Amino acid sequence: MIARQSLLLALTLAVFAAPTGAQQPAAVVAIPPLTTPNESDRGANGPAAIAWQASQLIASDLRSTAELVPVGPNQKDYYSYPEVTAPTFSKWRAQGAKYVVTGFVRSNPDGRFAVGCYVYDVTKGSELGRIGFAVRPDEWRRAAHKCSGLVYTAATGAPAGLFDTRIAYVAESGPPGARVKRIAVMDSDGTDHNFVTVGDSIVLTPRLSPKAGHLAYVSYVGGQPHIRVVDFDSNQQRPLVPTSAMTFAPRYAPDGSRIVFSMQQGPNTDVYLVDANGGTPQRLTTAPGVDTSPGFSPDAGQIVFESDRAGSQQLYVMSADGSGQRRISFGGGWYADPVWSPDGQWIAFTRRIPGVGTRVGVMKPDGTGEQLLSTGPGDEGPDWAPSSREIIFQRAGPDGRPALYRVAITGGEPRRVNTPQDGSEPDWSGVID
Amino acid sequence: MRRLILLAALATVSTTAFAQLPGLRRRDPVPPAIGPQQAMPIMGIDALRADFVARSGSDMVYFGGDAAVLTPQAQAILQAQANWLRQHPEVIVRIEGYADLSDTRDHALAVGAKRAEEVRSYLMLLGIPAAQMTTVSWGKEKIAVLGSAPAALALNRRAVTVIVR
Repeated sequence: MIARQSLLLALTLAVFAAPTGAQQPAAVVAIPPLTTPNESDRGANGPAAIAWQASQLIASDLRSTAELVPVGPNQKDYYSYPEVTAPTFSKWRAQGAKYVVTGFVRSNPDGRFAVGCYVYDVTKGSELGRIGFAVRPDEWRRAAHKCSGLVYTAATGAPAGLFDTRIAYVAESGPPGARVKRIAVMDSDGTDHNFVTVGDSIVLTPRLSPKAGHLAYVSYVGGQPHIRVVDFDSNQQRPLVPTSAMTFAPRYAPDGSRIVFSMQQGPNTDVYLVDANGGTPQRLTTAPGVDTSPGFSPDAGQIVFESDRAGSQQLYVMSADGSGQRRISFGGGWYADPVWSPDGQWIAFTRRIPGVGTRVGVMKPDGTGEQLLSTGPGDEGPDWAPSSREIIFQRAGPDGRPALYRVAITGGEPRRVNTPQDGSEPDWSGVID
Repeated sequence: MRRLILLAALATVSTTAFAQLPGLRRRDPVPPAIGPQQAMPIMGIDALRADFVARSGSDMVYFGGDAAVLTPQAQAILQAQANWLRQHPEVIVRIEGYADLSDTRDHALAVGAKRAEEVRSYLMLLGIPAAQMTTVSWGKEKIAVLGSAPAALALNRRAVTVIVR
């Protein structure tokens, strides 16, 4: 697997902080094909071909959010290189577009491609932002994803894009009762799909580091379930904590430097914190019972977790040093799998309703504003899109086979995320640098 | 009362003990009716496992709800398991705890561990040395009976005593 960091060299285009666009639902975004400066660029794998594919990818990225309506690319909408920064606003206004995306792909002398991308408010006739990269020819998709992210944040006001990101999940195959499970990682659009484990032992709960350079997961290799950590740069992996006790439920701190997890000792399971490189774990909870599924707030000041200390699984929040533990879920039934949104506004969870099944939902960190986002009966294990506007989760089909779905926190019908095999336990990384 | 009946049944026909556990299937062939003393030196692991199941009534016990509490029926089976283990001090067992599919992933792992620990503690109380037993939780992996019906879920909330050598 290739390293994901530092692949993109930012060009010296001035990058504006994109002003928050009007939050009009389902705004039309015109995506005429990115252009090229030279006629000589028109080879099969040259800049012109890449420009066309990148334009298609930007449209497909924006369509996947269901928040914007991309139109294009269309061959008849080609424009010249100088028009990249001078789009014909009247044309796009007439077509009902709220935003237009322009850009270019050109060859650099060093063999890289320069990719530039601009987004304009058609109504106001003003630029909302621009971004540019020098990429290896095989990395053009990442540059296109970055363009999509620029358009998405400018048009929706979302705090982050969600396209240049990775999704880890458990790929399942084989007959019921003898499932083969492998950790898989893919780009959030389904490309660059890799298996991280070979399927010789059961694996659980893959959790990517925020920039997707590392992965923590639970493995049964050796017999006892324990957390292992993968470094994608070196392709090395090792146990997180050298112990014979069961360790599970890992999740990275927002800066990737630490991992919060659960360790079982006798009948008791508590929350611990350890440096992502190892070391001595710090115990954060001591209550009798099962304290698990911990995760940090985005400012790293607090940790949300679930505990059955009061008799049933409920959500609790505490300071990152373990102090000030307080229950936040009071809606009846059982609450599990809490995950704090990247923007800090929400906590996603699985709610177990006895006799009904499991559903996923969100609530504010103080426990108010609960909304269930799925109807079940076998929905569980939510994680946040980096935009904080959607969650991804696992849904069991009528035959019990799991698949990945995503749903906007404003509601709507959950949409299937395609995977080559059955998929469970999704985990969505932050935006890669 | 129930326990007396169970043990009496075991003494006569070992297979009747399975009748009270719907959905269970014996994984090993029915062993010949031979005593442990004469059989031990020549028993392979499969024969040992079959003998263990036959003489204990079952290699597994069931739990209610999210609980890790041993029912009287479970205690009776574990007492029979302990009797057998005392006669086979050379045997090592792995106690596997399981949760059902309605549980969530992480909690299921912890609950499976609690169930395995509960069985281990009870067997220790009955005099089985700690060194003779290990535990592992399978959480909601390796579901024994598929489906979300209450009866199917109940058959997955279990702890299994597995002879490993």
